[in-house]
Amino acid sequence: MTGSSVSPVGSVASVVVVGGGIAGVSTVAELRKNGYAGELTLLSADPLPYDRPPLSKEYLAGSRDLDSLALQPAEWYAEQQVTLVGGAVAAALQPDAGEVELADGRVLSADRIVLATGGRAVRPPIGSPIHVLRDVADADSLRTRLVAGARLLIVGGGLIGAEVASTARGLGAEVTLVDPLDPPLAAAVGIEVASWLHGLHGSHGVETLSTTVETVLETSAGVAVQLRGEPDSRVFDTVLVAVGLAPETSLAEAAGLETSRGVLVDADQVTSHPTVLAVGDCARPRGHHRAEHWEAAQHDGARAAATILGLERAAVTAPWWWSDRYGLHVEGVGEMRIADAEHEVVVRGVVGEPPFSVFTLRGERVIGAVAVDDPNAVRAARRMIDRGVAVCGSDLGDPGVSLRKMLRGLG
Amino acid sequence: MTGNSEGIRVASLDDIPEGEGVAISSDITGTDDDIAILRDDDGTCWALNDTCTHETASLAEGWVEDGDVECPLHSSRFNLKTGKVDGLPATRDTVPHRVEVRDGEVYLFPGERP
Ligand SMILES: Cc1cc2nc3c(=O)[nH]c(=O)nc-3n(C[C@H](O)[C@H](O)[C@H](O)COP(=O)(O)OP(=O)(O)OC[C@H]3O[C@@H](n4cnc5c(N)ncnc54)[C@H](O)[C@@H]3O)c2cc1C
Ligand code: FES
Repeated sequence: MTGSSVSPVGSVASVVVVGGGIAGVSTVAELRKNGYAGELTLLSADPLPYDRPPLSKEYLAGSRDLDSLALQPAEWYAEQQVTLVGGAVAAALQPDAGEVELADGRVLSADRIVLATGGRAVRPPIGSPIHVLRDVADADSLRTRLVAGARLLIVGGGLIGAEVASTARGLGAEVTLVDPLDPPLAAAVGIEVASWLHGLHGSHGVETLSTTVETVLETSAGVAVQLRGEPDSRVFDTVLVAVGLAPETSLAEAAGLETSRGVLVDADQVTSHPTVLAVGDCARPRGHHRAEHWEAAQHDGARAAATILGLERAAVTAPWWWSDRYGLHVEGVGEMRIADAEHEVVVRGVVGEPPFSVFTLRGERVIGAVAVDDPNAVRAARRMIDRGVAVCGSDLGDPGVSLRKMLRGLG
Repeated sequence: MTGNSEGIRVASLDDIPEGEGVAISSDITGTDDDIAILRDDDGTCWALNDTCTHETASLAEGWVEDGDVECPLHSSRFNLKTGKVDGLPATRDTVPHRVEVRDGEVYLFPGERP
């Protein structure tokens, strides 16, 4: 259908995308790539949309600067005939009228509105001062505090908390990490890999505690933190809370769209209003969890563009993510389970001796995989999942058997 | 090492499994960057600058399939023939080089377009 000379949905002549993250930028890119020739506006709270993953990694470490984080170079928007409105904050939506009102009073109208507003870091009510990490301003204020010898408490040992622990150690800070889960991330990577990953903190000089924070208080000696189960409070210079994301649904809610832990969307990214779509971290597909990963946001954008253009949507692929800590590259795809009557867990290599990978199988089908320093194992697993390739667990666990051959059914 | 008119012999075809690649050092290629020799799943050989235009991954360690190589770090895809990037986070195309396979040996012509 791409490349057909008549636009399949002739009625769509203008699209406004609210939010310049990977989801919003992917939406406009995919619209143009698939031949959309109408008006296209991207409202971005930031002057130039930038990429978030480096904020806990290279940007926080100081090895990449803000310019290098741009999702697209500034001139790309003009080339693509996208009106990028930098510094624009949408204040209200009128779905029936197809209008977006900006905080500065301007009103834009469009045939389709795409919400790509992402989310905010959750700030639990434990007192202050606490830092969070979601945007460049957060990263900048955290970075100035990560000097050699600074005492940093990280609350939350998930992907972002662990990445910051690694980066902060690289900068010479003293790091303590608390999480009530021991180990964190078991649901994402499986218990064995989660335990090993969490143990890396200790071997890199990070103190890990399995508890929660009750209160945070500013004192003359520093930030006093009371941990559950400890008799006295401890003093830190900085507290970073990395306990999750609150989807930015306020525009949608005020406009009467259905929301519940995200703006609810169908498989085509359409909200409860037929001319409003939602993509990325702000959206939740009915009956599913929010993915909260970079590639999922990108795919949402592609799907929204296909919906607007009346094109067939691309097949859904198993969700994929990456994360880096202590110089190791971790990737995951699909879902990981513990071994039980229905599921088999297969290790390829040795957990703790990268490169290695771990697969979850249901019957003969791979449903998920995690790899450390072995990205092609995850690329193979992803294709096995997406193509429903039947595999044999003992082959999968034998590093001498080529995954590419197994994928082609030659294993 | 042979002269440029015949190309530089850089590998035996048998040493590069289909779907994989090998990196050839810039000491050998005489180029700024190392060059990745990439073997598509149909058996054909291609060459691109080795360093991903996004960060520092080696494309020789990427996943080669259907005319593209997928970066091993953040999965941007580059066309094996043209070096064109398809998909963020990389935004810049990479440089393709010509390769020729003769008698099971791979010859590289650094700086020449395929
Ligand atoms: C520190 C950090 C590290 C990460 N690392 C990884 C990683 O290694 N791998 C991975 O897979 N994922 C990672 N992620 C997750 C990934 O970055 C997110 O899933 C992704 O950014 C989601 O994209 P998005 O476009 O939906 O939302 P966002 O990136 O949040 O973009 C939404 C944009 O909308 C703007 N906005 C909100 N409301 C309005 C409004 N009313 N008007 C105008 N603009 C508005 C916001 O300011 C923001 O710029 C990381 C996230 C963070 C924070
Ligand atoms: S280094 Fe290749 S996509 Fe990031």
